[in-house]
Amino acid sequence: MKESVKIAAILLVILNASLLVPAAAPYFDYLAITAAVVALALAVAAFAPAPKSVPKPAVAEAVKPPAAAAVPQNQARAEVVTLLGVFQEKGRLIDFLMEDVTPYSDQEVGSVARSVHQGCKAALNEHFSIEPVSTEAEGAAVTVPAGYPADEFRFVGNLSGQAPFTGKLVHKGWRVNSVKLPRVLNLEGDRLPALAPAQVEVS
Amino acid sequence: MSIQFSLGIDLGTSNSAMAVSDFATGQSGIVEISQLFGPNRIGELPVLPSALYVPHPDEFPAEAVRLPWAGPDDDEPGITGQFARDHGAMVPDRLVTSAKSWLSNPHIDPRRPVLPWASEVAESKLSPLACSRRYLEHLKQAFLLAESAQGRGRDLGQGQIVLTVPASFNEVARNLTLEAAAAAGLPNVVLLEEPQAAFYAWTAQAGSDWRTQVRAGDVVLVCDVGGGTADFSLIAVTEHAGNLAIERISVGEHLLLGGDNMDLALAYTLRYQLEEAGSSIDDWQFLSLIQSLRAAKVALFSDPSLEAAPVTIPSRGSRLFASNLATSLTRGTLEQVVLDGFFAMTAVGDLPQESGAAALQEFGLPYASDPVISKHLARFLTRSLQNVRASEALAALVAERPDAIAGTFIKPSAVLFNGGVFKAGPLRRRVLDLLASWDDGRPVRALEGDEPDLAVAKGAAFYGRTRATGQGVRIKAGTARSYYIGLESSMPAVPGFKPPVKALCVVPQGMEEGSECLIEGREFGLVTGKPASFRFFSSEIRSGDAPGAVLPNAERELEEISRIEVDLPLVDGFAEGQVVPVKVNPRVTELGNLELWIKHTASEQRWKVEFQVRME
Repeated sequence: MKESVKIAAILLVILNASLLVPAAAPYFDYLAITAAVVALALAVAAFAPAPKSVPKPAVAEAVKPPAAAAVPQNQARAEVVTLLGVFQEKGRLIDFLMEDVTPYSDQEVGSVARSVHQGCKAALNEHFSIEPVSTEAEGAAVTVPAGYPADEFRFVGNLSGQAPFTGKLVHKGWRVNSVKLPRVLNLEGDRLPALAPAQVEVS
Repeated sequence: MSIQFSLGIDLGTSNSAMAVSDFATGQSGIVEISQLFGPNRIGELPVLPSALYVPHPDEFPAEAVRLPWAGPDDDEPGITGQFARDHGAMVPDRLVTSAKSWLSNPHIDPRRPVLPWASEVAESKLSPLACSRRYLEHLKQAFLLAESAQGRGRDLGQGQIVLTVPASFNEVARNLTLEAAAAAGLPNVVLLEEPQAAFYAWTAQAGSDWRTQVRAGDVVLVCDVGGGTADFSLIAVTEHAGNLAIERISVGEHLLLGGDNMDLALAYTLRYQLEEAGSSIDDWQFLSLIQSLRAAKVALFSDPSLEAAPVTIPSRGSRLFASNLATSLTRGTLEQVVLDGFFAMTAVGDLPQESGAAALQEFGLPYASDPVISKHLARFLTRSLQNVRASEALAALVAERPDAIAGTFIKPSAVLFNGGVFKAGPLRRRVLDLLASWDDGRPVRALEGDEPDLAVAKGAAFYGRTRATGQGVRIKAGTARSYYIGLESSMPAVPGFKPPVKALCVVPQGMEEGSECLIEGREFGLVTGKPASFRFFSSEIRSGDAPGAVLPNAERELEEISRIEVDLPLVDGFAEGQVVPVKVNPRVTELGNLELWIKHTASEQRWKVEFQVRME
């Protein structure tokens, strides 16, 4: 899992850096969303083998992948690459991140961000079911009961006394209700699958 | 072994889905379908795109596109599902889509390998029947895989399988569907019409409440517009001894017109706009334009406050910024193309244009020549009235509301929408407005269904449970059409004049499952050892014809669907070449398919007649 966390961190740095490019200011939202998409996708991918048990919606349970008998060494890495490949295929995320955006105008970056956002969002919704941790509006006063899951709430500011804690909701948080990841079959040796194939038009 | 669960399979023209209902727990849900997302890549989706890609022998290593349930030896060529559809869109000569519609195509033998249609590159072609079998095999194996993944491992033999077919499918297409299911190794299969399945899904979802949402005298229009086809049915609600009874009273014709046509129409419009503005897009970009437009369409239809939705077409190479095309889909364009193009507010007397230039059309699937769904709906309601008026029994079902059958067409009192197209609220509203405008502004109710793209599979699973346990409401249906054998008139030959073919009704409309009859009054003489062939016709609007009735002109009144052939073996007591007197003995099996038998008049011997699809 170390590898996937590393990839996540690198991608986040790239994306967050692009948020600092002044020219991109009017499209801050798109980039922020794209960053969030990658962050979530990768964070989830990293922890996928042990999904947290949360109340499932009443609909049919998603089919779980059958347990593979012998898992090759780099299976986990290959699956992270495959997931990245999904974001590339559906939303051209890798193309977007691998390109130097500095020479382009806000207009151009914004228009590309729209298509990246549209595709990545579709891919995200296909593979993860995501909902906010807190359903309150950001800025509202919330009370967090004792025994909350440690990964779901983070308290900042002046924390003292005993739970339940009361404070202002700054960020509503996100959590994943279910994960449905593509799996890699027939992996050969240490080779990682391609992120995106080179396309050749035969006429 | 007793039946413990039911599995509903919606074998769709563009997407297939499965739902399972467990009798012991009462739980039901959609079965997620494992499929290839790419070479060496597999995952689950709630639907299986009904697409089959025939790869070049050197395109992918066999193990890269082998599904987990396939052994190393059964490498039948062809990839089914999501990857097939997405990749095949770029390699159209190797892609099979809409295989199901070929089953009801009277011009092609569905057992002949003709797909991908008109392709010159595919090394191996498949027959429409084989494609349906492949999809069903995939669904079967995906169900078993899902079962083992969940540690349940139910056996298909313990299940009641319900396979849905369009209401517009004739008996030949229904029999072929059953044949494909048998070849795919599915046991205990019964057929159910898709609009009926949608209605069952609605009753299942509304729970016991459904009885309060309809009342005796209601005529419910099931309006099902999917990706590639439109299918209509009318269902009448009556009351018997205080209980509501449901009967299907009319089905529509097979109509190759659906949501894909709408997406294409939008894409052509936008491409024209882009070209006017000086940009050009290639085929690959056109495909991503369609994708992008789908999202824009959903955004505009679900948020009435939006005036336009952005549409971007990424450049083809890795450099996104090089030639990214951006435009937008305006509400005006969307309404003009989809609402007014496909669901125009036409008059009820405005019927679809028959294609006059049929001879010039490419010889392929018989796509609807008039894209206006409103006109096809008007035609359906007009023909439904003819059908209901033709039989006293049917007319009695709608007698509670006499104004429903006054005039030139049946006026439904409620609509149940089904199919992905009707996820869009404005399209549902438009159909309701259209129906109201045809009935002097009297409003028509909408029955609230859910998930219009998965309802058929869910309804099929629900029906399977009802059927196996004997509990719950059943729609009275029987055969949707009446069937006829052509009788060549014996008239003196006159040059330039073709004598009309008379038709003998052998199966009445509404003939129920598990029943059979003998056509009295007409005896045929068949010669042993010599195959005899007859023309076979049907009609969905002649509910009044009783078995044995003779129509003067089959070609004018009926639709020809196939040829039937009977090959009489040597019969005891008759020398070879001798004429054996026989009667026609139709039978509707418990599975819901029609069989024709020829019975020796003087004994109990009988022979099955094979439907043979016409070839021209």
